[in-house]
Amino acid sequence: MSALLPPGFATLEPFAMRWAGETAADRAHLRAAYPDAERDAFHAACAPRLEAGLAHLDETPLAALDEAQQRLMRLLLTFAHVSLAVEVQGPDEAQHAPLRASMRITRTPADR
Amino acid sequence: MNTHTPPFQPVSQDDVAWLGTDPIPASPYYDPAYFELERKAVFLRSWIQVGHVCELPDPGSFIRREIEFANASILIVRGKDGAIRAFHNVCTHRGTQLVMAEAGRQSTFSCPYHMWTFATDGALVSAPDFDQFHVAKKDCALPAVAVGVCAGLIFLSFAERPEPLRDWLGDLADRLEALPVARATTFSEYVYEIDANWKLTYDNFQENYHLRFIHPRSGGAATGPDNPFGYPVHYGFHGPHRTQTIWSNRAAPPPPAPALLSYGKAAEAAAAHGIMVSQDAKDYFALFPNFFLLGSPLQHFSHVVMPISATRSRGVIRLYWIGEDDSASERFAREYLMATARDIHSEDRGVIERGQRGLSSGALQHIHLQTQEILCRHLFRSVDAAVEAYKAEMASGAEARA
Ligand code: FES
Ligand SMILES: [Fe+2]
Repeated sequence: MSALLPPGFATLEPFAMRWAGETAADRAHLRAAYPDAERDAFHAACAPRLEAGLAHLDETPLAALDEAQQRLMRLLLTFAHVSLAVEVQGPDEAQHAPLRASMRITRTPADR
Repeated sequence: MNTHTPPFQPVSQDDVAWLGTDPIPASPYYDPAYFELERKAVFLRSWIQVGHVCELPDPGSFIRREIEFANASILIVRGKDGAIRAFHNVCTHRGTQLVMAEAGRQSTFSCPYHMWTFATDGALVSAPDFDQFHVAKKDCALPAVAVGVCAGLIFLSFAERPEPLRDWLGDLADRLEALPVARATTFSEYVYEIDANWKLTYDNFQENYHLRFIHPRSGGAATGPDNPFGYPVHYGFHGPHRTQTIWSNRAAPPPPAPALLSYGKAAEAAAAHGIMVSQDAKDYFALFPNFFLLGSPLQHFSHVVMPISATRSRGVIRLYWIGEDDSASERFAREYLMATARDIHSEDRGVIERGQRGLSSGALQHIHLQTQEILCRHLFRSVDAAVEAYKAEMASGAEARA
């Protein structure tokens, strides 16, 4: 199987298909789209790789990222949302999700 | 050297005694008749924030805004000459809505019905077989609406003779001009609809009494042992507008790693753009009637609560940024900072709707505001003064006609 992510991010490969949301709204939705255990597994794998991932991507202008790098970028952006579920809301995340559903993300610089 | 900060002192009742202590009548928060008065006395006579100049980068750039309280669709256009103008989105031939797109760029605007065509300054430039008409082209320009810009923020006024925007903003105008929003080139945005009165919705965001109960996890350093409710350190009153200087707990445990990373990146970006983290960075600007802006350059957001009916509103929150995302780290920081703000606003929205259900039942004659809810009291008093003045004006007009 060929790699979906840049070399050096093998531990994130199992999450690359599911968790690389296209738009900010998609990524906010992914935060609560799967069972807690799956979300927690993604969080556990990604948290220790966040800084290395951003450092790798920062070496290339955003417009010049290749497909694998773009996927890594989107994966890390989804992690921004997932980290709030795990690190901030914790046990309250299940009751927090329906409150967020009414807050429609309509634009971000990343989406343009 | 001893560097500990003095213990928190809440603003005292003495400082705000001039605003009174009476209970506030409940019906203005649900009664359609009161809403109708507010619509005419407040919203149709105030400068209302509807956009930002970064949405109109080029000559011919336009945005369309649906303004429910005026029952109007408004086209805001940057002309060939660079000036920003606003018009009713209504063809002057027989009234057809001219533009359906939310935003775009065009050198002219043509009505699909009979092809009357208008320039970016609103003038009618061509109309098929115009000789058959009994009117001059110069009398067929799009109906203009007053527009003003301060700190990059675009405001509209439907007043007959609006005072200049800068006079309306008073001493806050220069302070707003010094904030990052004045230089913003892009933004993140999220929008909510809510079954709640616009004042009930807006008030939630100008009192901190609820923080520890509604934001127990997302509230972070907003509360602390010597300020358990996270009350502000200062309130400012500027005509109908108001400010608060927020307090933060310097001894709070550090936020999670992605938050530290994001705030660090945002601070770096602010410094790169020469933005000082000034005193105003801790200030919330509340512009009458329905606009907020947080001065912080790290999470520099505005929040507008648009009234739709007595018990329905729409909130628009924007985090303003200078420059496009210039790196993966900056993109991450912007996504994270937006998501944290959205989490908090989601918690607020839920409890506000619950408050509306209680109020709309009519069970209460009054609601009660404490000293640290003084900004809510100030809003109500400002609105009610405008409503009473409007009623008096109508009554004297009726007398004069009698
Ligand atoms: S209504 Fe617009 S051209 Fe006739
Ligand atoms: Fe809140």
